Amino acid sequence: MDGDTMKDLIKYIAQALVDHPDQVDVSEVVGEQTSVIELRVTKEDLGKVIGKQGKTAKAMRTILSAASSKLNKRSVLEIIE
Amino acid sequence: MSESSPKESFEFEGKTIDEAIAKACNELNLSREKLNIEILTEGAAGFLGLVGGKKARISASILSFNMDFDETPGEAPLAATKQKAAESGGTEAGDTALEARELTKGILQRMGFDFPVTAREDGESVTIDIEGDGSGILIGKGGQTLDALQYLVNKALNKNGTDRKRIILDTENYRSKRESSLEALALKLGEKAKRTGKPVTVNPMNAHDRRIVHLALQEDKELTTRSRGEGAFRKIIILPGKKG
Repeated sequence: MDGDTMKDLIKYIAQALVDHPDQVDVSEVVGEQTSVIELRVTKEDLGKVIGKQGKTAKAMRTILSAASSKLNKRSVLEIIE
Repeated sequence: MSESSPKESFEFEGKTIDEAIAKACNELNLSREKLNIEILTEGAAGFLGLVGGKKARISASILSFNMDFDETPGEAPLAATKQKAAESGGTEAGDTALEARELTKGILQRMGFDFPVTAREDGESVTIDIEGDGSGILIGKGGQTLDALQYLVNKALNKNGTDRKRIILDTENYRSKRESSLEALALKLGEKAKRTGKPVTVNPMNAHDRRIVHLALQEDKELTTRSRGEGAFRKIIILPGKKG
């Protein structure tokens, strides 16, 4: 359930950033302490979720860690090519 | 202006914010640009596809500045603004504030923060104010969470490349508090540079924060400020010595 929240969060942000929101796919690999949120977008949108010098990706990670620390857990965002 | 009407504000309702704004323009006979719109509540039917009976409510006040230089205040400008409103379609300017507010709210909800969010549009920028719970969790260390959120909201709304308004996110008056603490820091480090006669380096900061430091020391004729480094590592050096 908690994992779904983080997945939802990343999906929502990513869809707002890209040109093809329908092609945003987010999955989660649940670990003991840390969950990995995997984000996939189309090739054209890759730059949009990474940003200049990874600034957008970094911002998403900051938001993700703030949200997961509220749930006393850790989540890592991976952008999959 | 002959009749000085101080900040009067009027409330309008509509099914959507847009409708309410259009109503405001119509009733007050002014174009969108002449109004300062504050969103009070949003219509419930819109964003998440929920059907609810809630109406969108806005408060509109007339912007104080006026551009009527001609002899007949009242008549001519009114006609001009009417025409302008017709040309621009009236409602389109409120979109950025509304979208920014929706997006911010959407992200916050998914982060587990169900805080009230208000939007204020003033000329160049849109300010989104989040009513926090006082815990500062939304601000983060050195404001990083709030800044990340602000960055993403700006990115998402400016993705089409059309030049849109800058969006500022604030909560618990963080922005103005930050500004005064940066100014205090700048002055303190400035004193240190003068006392020791050596350059003082300030920790890396973003462009907005650097600007505050530069401006705080701008008036001081005994100090010079410069920025060094690239990207996230760019920082200010305060140098003792005359300007120029």
